[in-house]
Amino acid sequence: MLAFLAAPLYADWVAHTTPSENHLTDRITIDGKQTDVVSLDGIPIGPTWGGSFFLGADENGRDVMVRVLYGGRASLVIGASAIALTLLCAIPLALVAGYFRGRTDALVSRLLDLIWSFPALLLGVLLSTAISLRGGQIGPFTITSGSKLIPIAVIGLVYVPYVARPLRGQVLALREQSFVEAARASGLGSVRLMVSELLPHLWSTILALAPLLFANAVVLEAALSFLGAGIDPPEPSFGTLIDAGVDNVALSPHLLLAPSIALVLVVLSLSGLSEGLRRTLDPHDKLALDVIHGQ
Amino acid sequence: MIPYAARRLGWALFSAWVASIVAFVLFWAIPNVDPSFHLGGGQRGTDETRARAAEEYGLDDPLPVQYVRLMRGIVDGDVECFYGCGSLRTAFLDALPVTFWLVIGAGAIAIGTGVLLALVCVRHRGRWPDRAIMAAATMAYSVPSLVLAAVLWAFLANKWGIFPEEGYVGLTENPIEWFWHLLLPWIAAAMPFAGAYVQVVRSSLLHEVDADWVRTARAKGLSETRVMRRHVLRNGLIPPTNIWGLDFSHAFGGFALYVEVIFGLPGIGSLTAETLGGFDLPPIVGLAVYLAIVVVLANAVVDLIVVWLDPRLRRAGVAR
Repeated sequence: MLAFLAAPLYADWVAHTTPSENHLTDRITIDGKQTDVVSLDGIPIGPTWGGSFFLGADENGRDVMVRVLYGGRASLVIGASAIALTLLCAIPLALVAGYFRGRTDALVSRLLDLIWSFPALLLGVLLSTAISLRGGQIGPFTITSGSKLIPIAVIGLVYVPYVARPLRGQVLALREQSFVEAARASGLGSVRLMVSELLPHLWSTILALAPLLFANAVVLEAALSFLGAGIDPPEPSFGTLIDAGVDNVALSPHLLLAPSIALVLVVLSLSGLSEGLRRTLDPHDKLALDVIHGQ
Repeated sequence: MIPYAARRLGWALFSAWVASIVAFVLFWAIPNVDPSFHLGGGQRGTDETRARAAEEYGLDDPLPVQYVRLMRGIVDGDVECFYGCGSLRTAFLDALPVTFWLVIGAGAIAIGTGVLLALVCVRHRGRWPDRAIMAAATMAYSVPSLVLAAVLWAFLANKWGIFPEEGYVGLTENPIEWFWHLLLPWIAAAMPFAGAYVQVVRSSLLHEVDADWVRTARAKGLSETRVMRRHVLRNGLIPPTNIWGLDFSHAFGGFALYVEVIFGLPGIGSLTAETLGGFDLPPIVGLAVYLAIVVVLANAVVDLIVVWLDPRLRRAGVAR
C-alpha cells in the first residue's frame, strides 16, 4: 500500500521515457518477435507485462504505465496540497468560531453551512471555470488556465466546511473544560490559548480525517479533470487518463482499465489507512466520520 | 412543524440568493475580467463586436443594475442556452426529470441495499457473513462512481452492446426502455453510496441492538423479526437519514454531472457540462442560479422529511 502511494515519487527513476514522448513508429521485441508499438491501423499494443510498455501504449505510442505513474503523481500532489489548504483555512475558522462563540460563531457557521449546502463537485466545476476563464493575475498568484493551482485552490476551499464543522464542535466542548479555564486565569491571551491549549487536542481528529479527505480530494480531482475543469490533457492525471480511456475503449480497453484500477487502489489504500488511524486514535468511535463521503 | 418549515424555506431562499450573487460576481463582475471580451466573441472578437456586446448587455451600467437585469432574464427564461438552442429555462426544465429519476433510482438502490445488507450484518454480527459484507462494502466504497460509470459504460454498453450507449426514454413513453436506459447509471451512481451506507447503518443498528428497550422487547417474548422491525430498525434508521438527505440533495450537482456525461443522458449534468464548455457567460450564470435553486430546494425538502421523522430535531438550528 505504501509502495503504491509512494510510486508517483519514484516515477522519474523507473520510467524509460517521459509521459508525453511519442513512440509512434517504434518497434519492440516481444517473445522474440518485432512488434509495432502502434500497429499500422492505429491500434496500440496492449500490456506487455515487462520492461517498457508494461501496461501497453496509447494511440500516440505513449507508455501507459509511465503516464499512469505521472498522472498519479499529479493527482496525489493536487490532493495533498488541497488538503493542506483545507486544513490551513479550516483549523483557524474552527478555533475562532468555537472559542469566541456568539456572533463570530454564528457568522462563521452560517458561512460554512452555505458552502456545505452546495455539492462539492458543482462548486468545483463552477469555480475552476470562473478562474480559468479569467487566467491572469489573482492576488499574488499568476494563474494560467492550465495551472495546477486552480484545482488545488478549488478542491481545498470546497472541503473547508467538512473539516471545520466537526472541529468547531470539538472546540465548543473543549473550551468548557477546567484546563482551559485555568489557562485563562493564568493570563493567557486568546490566541496563545487557542494555539497552545486547544489545538493539541484537535490533532487526533485532524489526523483521522485527513486520509479520508485526501481520498475524496483525489477523486474530486479526477471528476473535475474528467469534466474538463481540472488538469487539461495531454498533461496526465487520473481524470484525464480515464477520460481518454473511455473514448478508445472498444479497441484498447487497457487505456481505461489502467488508470481506473490505479485510482481505485489509491482510494482503497487511503481508506484502509484512515480506518487504521481511526481505530488507533478514536477507539470509542466518538468521531462522526459519516460526513465526508460521496462526491 | 410549520414554523420550522417556514424558517427552513427562508434559509433555502437566502442561500439561493447568495449563490446568485456569488455566481454573478465570479463570472461577471470581478474587475479582472471584462465580460465584453467573452460576450464579444472571445479570442476572435474585435473591438467592434466587444463594443456591440457591451451595448447589448448594458455593460456600462452600474453593477447592481446589471445584476437585476441578468437575474430577471434568467428567471423569465430569456437567457439563451449555448449555441442558440432556445431558452435556457426550457432546456433546464426538460432536463430536470432525467436527473430526477437518476437521483431517485440511485438513492433507492443505495439505501435499499445498504439497509438490507446492514441487517444481515447485524443478524450475524462477528461471524463470516458480517465480515464478508463489510469487506465488500469497503471495496464498493473505494470504487469512485466515476470509474465505475466509465468501466460499465465502456464494456457493457459500448463494447458488448448489451445496454444502450446513450439517450433516454421517458417513463410514460415506455417504462421498460426507461428502466433499461437508467439501470447502468443507477448502479454506477449507487454502488459507492451503498458501500458507505452498509457501514453507517450497521454501526447505528448495533448501537440500538443493545439498548434497554430492545432487551425489554425480547424479554416480553416478541419474535426476533418483530424486535428487529419494530424496535431496532425504527430507531436505528434515524441517524442515517441525515446523511442520505445531504447526499441526495447534493447528487444534483454531484455524480449527476459525470454519470450523465458518460451515459449520454440528456439531463442537467450533460447540460451543465455543455454550457460550461461553451464559455458563454449569461447561460453559465443562469445555469448556476438554476442549479443553486434545485440543490437548495432539494436540501430543504430533505431536511423537512428528516425532521418529520425525528421531531427532536425541530428545536435544533435552522440548517442543522
